[in-house]
Amino acid sequence: MEIVLPTNQWTFYAAAHLLNRAGFGGTPEEINKLYAMGHEKAVAFLLNPGEETDLFPPPELTTPSLYYDRQQAMKELPEEERQAFKKLYQRDEGDEISAVRQWWLNRMRYSTFAAREKAVLFWHGHWASSIDKVRWPFQMWQQNETLRAYAFGSIPAFAKEISRDPAMIKYLDLNSSSASKPNENFARELMELFLLGEGNYSESDIQQSARAFTGYRIDQKTGAFRFDKKQNNTDTKVFFGRTGKFSGDEIIDIITSQPRCAEYLAEKIWIFYAGTPPSPTTLSYLAQTFRQSGLNTGHLMKSIFLNQDFYAPSVVRHQIKSPIQWFIQTCKTLDIPLPKAPHTENMLRQLGQQLLAPPNVKGWDGGRAWISSSSLLLRYNMAGQLVKARSNKENSPITAPNIDLIIPPNTTPEIALDSLGKRLFQSPLPPNLKEKSLAFLEMNGNSAESRRDLLHLAMSTPEFQLT
Amino acid sequence: MKSHFHTRRQFLRTSILGGAMAWTVPVFLERTFCALDAMAADSLVQTSTGKDNTILVVIQLAGGNDGLNTLVPYADDAYYRVRPKIAIPATSVHNLNDYCGLNPNLTGLKALYDEGHLSVIQGVGYPNPNRSHFRSTEIWQTAVDSNKTDTNGWLGRYFDSCCPGEDPAVGISIGNQAPQAFAAKVPRGISFARPEEFRFDLRQTAKPQAANAFFRSANDVETMDGSSIGMLQGPNSSGGDTLDFLHRTALDATLSSDKIMELVKKSKAASPYPANRLGDSLNLVGRLIAGGMSTRVYYVAHGGFDTHSNQLPTHERLMKELDTSLGAFSADLKAQGNFDRVLIMTFSEFGRRVAQNNSNGTDHGAAAPMFIAGGAIKAGVHGSAPSLTNLHDGDLIHTVDFRSVYASVLENWLHAPVEPILKRKFTTLPFV
Repeated sequence: MEIVLPTNQWTFYAAAHLLNRAGFGGTPEEINKLYAMGHEKAVAFLLNPGEETDLFPPPELTTPSLYYDRQQAMKELPEEERQAFKKLYQRDEGDEISAVRQWWLNRMRYSTFAAREKAVLFWHGHWASSIDKVRWPFQMWQQNETLRAYAFGSIPAFAKEISRDPAMIKYLDLNSSSASKPNENFARELMELFLLGEGNYSESDIQQSARAFTGYRIDQKTGAFRFDKKQNNTDTKVFFGRTGKFSGDEIIDIITSQPRCAEYLAEKIWIFYAGTPPSPTTLSYLAQTFRQSGLNTGHLMKSIFLNQDFYAPSVVRHQIKSPIQWFIQTCKTLDIPLPKAPHTENMLRQLGQQLLAPPNVKGWDGGRAWISSSSLLLRYNMAGQLVKARSNKENSPITAPNIDLIIPPNTTPEIALDSLGKRLFQSPLPPNLKEKSLAFLEMNGNSAESRRDLLHLAMSTPEFQLT
Repeated sequence: MKSHFHTRRQFLRTSILGGAMAWTVPVFLERTFCALDAMAADSLVQTSTGKDNTILVVIQLAGGNDGLNTLVPYADDAYYRVRPKIAIPATSVHNLNDYCGLNPNLTGLKALYDEGHLSVIQGVGYPNPNRSHFRSTEIWQTAVDSNKTDTNGWLGRYFDSCCPGEDPAVGISIGNQAPQAFAAKVPRGISFARPEEFRFDLRQTAKPQAANAFFRSANDVETMDGSSIGMLQGPNSSGGDTLDFLHRTALDATLSSDKIMELVKKSKAASPYPANRLGDSLNLVGRLIAGGMSTRVYYVAHGGFDTHSNQLPTHERLMKELDTSLGAFSADLKAQGNFDRVLIMTFSEFGRRVAQNNSNGTDHGAAAPMFIAGGAIKAGVHGSAPSLTNLHDGDLIHTVDFRSVYASVLENWLHAPVEPILKRKFTTLPFV
């Protein structure tokens, strides 16, 4: 049964937790705004903040038809010139994928609908595809837009759209799966990773359903999905004990009607947002309400964000920030713009989370896998780069935060440090850090430089890696 | 610095023996630091110092080294036929046998060969070779069949299966990024281009001393008293482990960083190194080995081998850099008395096309030779030379699978079981 967080437990800190997990956090002012709405309205607002004027024009990318024209034109060229063009295009591809990353990161940083971008990040790790195999930045962008369109939609429709998504078709080899030689890659991941989890299907289910997804192609000239009837296997299939000439869509309907599907996805989505597995009773409630909604993920996320367990002490401030979360949340809470593209890309690559290039079809492992002694020191030193950038120069790649906003100068140290705690940890400053911080200010004075040092030091702690 | 270590160790030992805070003590700590520290004699806990263990140093020649101009088949007419502008004249080659010899710039390697400390393995590659830098590097790093993929690297799988505990310094890579070969279930291994990068950076700090003191106490076990943990985690603390894990990793990081900085400051190269990046990297590795790090695997990458055009002068420089750096490293290890403990292995993601191209360079190819050097290895030329006329799509057909080389190193040098790491058996070669 549903247990909503009691009204008297809706505090500034609960609102901060909601904003951190549903999105990428925010300034104390943004948290206060959310807190003032009350719990239910805050959740509703995050999941639907109303129409925004689109501030994020799509990046300029080489379209599939242009790719096609180029390919044709290149056929005419002598080998040497063709190689030269290839090299040129490869560089373009590098610039383009970087542009798609920047476009998405900017949405995370600035969109009023940050919860949707967070959901897209989940789906990107769920229906994972990588530019390393897909090659065309355009198709990665297109997939990203599909994830956005279905971010809060229903699973059966979402899964069907994904099975027709050009990037996914390339990534899991559907484009080479034919009536006589079905490729099992997509069918296997559809059940193992996307919809049911290991152990909830048989090898025969994979072989049978792989035949249903044959003939899924990408049109050479337009880059759009094309169903090639001649390559489609129309034989009778036996799938989950049922017999019929099932199409790919029908296979998805059968899979998503398995009771396990709702449970599998509800648990995975809970873990993404809460950081720890749900209790059995919470999971069974979530799966049930998810099923009743027709596997509507927006409905599920709303139930998660209202649930009392989501605000348990074992959940709040117990999740290791992913590199993206660390990076975007830092920029948002410190109220600084994203560093220039090469810096941003470099930082995220070094920290181990390069968008549009997850390590494999399982996405990122997450949790403790984000942290090693090298990556922890990198986070500490990058925090220093963000906080201490010399941003007086024009065109400086990083803009340092306004330190007076974060540790106010003209007040008592206690008040100044409360302000720091609220902003960085969305909690009172952890006591061991508070003591050290007071001593630090007392010893080194209140100058902007020493407050900047302190901000960097507070971010260079195990505690700051949690949200 | 000394007194800092001393206090900390006393503190830790009390904790270990008292058991009261055993959960905060980094698992690897005694082995890596207490036992190796100069003051280890006073330790109450006897542990292996790691000083007797063998060490593997991997040198990646990134970009695809031209194997045919490295190990030159000077007695083969076919070589001179297809490389009219870029072939190495037979008269200048350092002969190893009556068929092939070393590039004229590899005088140091020739000397190692003559004294019995260098092996060359010919024709190393893998079935269905891939000519993409990215993909082929990945294949070498993960040691999988070319039609399969794996996230974890072969050295990472070695760490996972043979190096229990959480010593982050079990693998050290000199470079900006950890190689995929290090990727493991339990992430370990440290990477830095310069040791100064693997430490808390205080350069932009107004009050470095005070900041350093703050940093240390905030990232040390000593702050982890019950109250701070309780405060942050609340009573219901399944995830209490998360903060504990972060604190332990932070401690690992600060201590490894301290140790590395201390060693680098303290030890000097026993012999001079050439002034190039590979030389700098190997110099650093030499100092870490001399200092007694418990590290089993060092990884160094050297780039620039993608010689598509006008390759002779570039390749000459690259060969010289490799030769002088490796020569200096060997001399350093000999002077330290560590040469017998170290096996050096070079690899490149692929060799290059047999025939030269129109720009007096070579394009991406397949099989190529590997070098194995060390005080305790068996010198010689191993494997059979690939044919220069029976080609696959213009490329050499490999005669030795690179995983046979890995298997030999794992089984006979690191004394590790091969199958869990390489996923099946491979014939080993008698170079060790």
